[in-house]
Amino acid sequence: MIGRHPDSALLVEYASGSLELAPSIAITTHIQFCDQCRRTVESLQAVGGEMLEEAASAPVSDNLLDNVFARIDSDSKDEQSLSNVQHEVRKAGGENEVLSELASTVPAYVRKFLPAEPLKWRFLSPSLKTATISVGEDVNELSFLKIKAGGKAPVHTHKGTEITVVLKGCFSDEEDLYQPGDFIVRHAGETHQPIAAQNEECICLSVLSAPIQLTGIKSMLNPFLSFAPS
Amino acid sequence: MEEAQNWSACLERVGSHGDREAFSALFAHFAPLLKSFLAAGAGQNSENIEELVQETMVKVWRKASNYNRSQSNANTWIYTIARNTRIDWIRKQIRQNPNQLHADDIYDAEATVTPHSSLIALRNKRDVSAEIKKLPPAQSEVLALMYFQGHSGQQVSEALNIPLGTVKSRVRLALKRLKIALAENELELEAQEEAHA
Repeated sequence: MIGRHPDSALLVEYASGSLELAPSIAITTHIQFCDQCRRTVESLQAVGGEMLEEAASAPVSDNLLDNVFARIDSDSKDEQSLSNVQHEVRKAGGENEVLSELASTVPAYVRKFLPAEPLKWRFLSPSLKTATISVGEDVNELSFLKIKAGGKAPVHTHKGTEITVVLKGCFSDEEDLYQPGDFIVRHAGETHQPIAAQNEECICLSVLSAPIQLTGIKSMLNPFLSFAPS
Repeated sequence: MEEAQNWSACLERVGSHGDREAFSALFAHFAPLLKSFLAAGAGQNSENIEELVQETMVKVWRKASNYNRSQSNANTWIYTIARNTRIDWIRKQIRQNPNQLHADDIYDAEATVTPHSSLIALRNKRDVSAEIKKLPPAQSEVLALMYFQGHSGQQVSEALNIPLGTVKSRVRLALKRLKIALAENELELEAQEEAHA
């Protein structure tokens, strides 16, 4: 049972197109698990459809329709072969080591963001490692997180917002227990220590809007926690 | 409703056998709407807005065979294409080397919808369509800024000079009026707000 969902303002930002890429990916990932939020998004897109229908009608140039037909006639074949190429690129991601490991548990949607080359994992603590994914935006960092079975992530504080979507396994913190599909938002200033369930490792998708800060003795590690939105 | 069904039928004719007459009818109706809709969110670059309208309508033609009226109204479907085209276009303006990812990839545009969920969704959409015109101005203003201008909640808060919390609560109230389901944690917030009111 999914207990954590994006709030409605975030879903409206998503459906109206103002949300940045990385958090949008987190929401699409969540709705792979959550039919309720999927339906909400469908309804919010219907709101967009009604907004479009209510827009003031602005006359377009007389030749615009002809230009559209000209484009359709001239480059529809090029476009067709381009989409085939993109399809091949995505399939290449399928050879990834993490994918073969996750193939049966991670939604197909998430797989397409895996690069063709193996992920570069960095250890943040003995039981927590992270691999950053490049999605071409400069506000947020998108990454995969892996916590060993029973492992504790370092206690940390957030300078910005962190969104976590559980993909596989479970983790808990001081507040709750989180399961696959859960969409957890931590705001600046909140400190927590995620702990993976004993029986299996926990894999999450994470979106960071600013670097996290380790607290206590581990704060000496902070210089190594490079923030690299890409 | 009758008109909406006509547009769905036009899209299906374009998708099934490339019907140019049906496409021209769609163009005559939607291109002027798209022009003002897209211009609102494009800021200073609005002089090229017809290129964006053109791009959107070319995609409507190309994708029409994927259109399924049991999943969405024609206007909703065209809206999502316009939204994604605008996102890709804005990203192209602000980045030297745009990443290969497109908005269609991010939104999982080809995701399948189960018949059950689409039935519920359709019912919701009828409600949405009837109720949206009856929203109190404070709520429709927030939605208009988000959908037309492409504003985030934070930007709405700055534009209207109201706290972010107020923006969020107006969004929640609007969704409730539109009978769009809220998640449980939001219903709790809702109850708290009503208790305070």
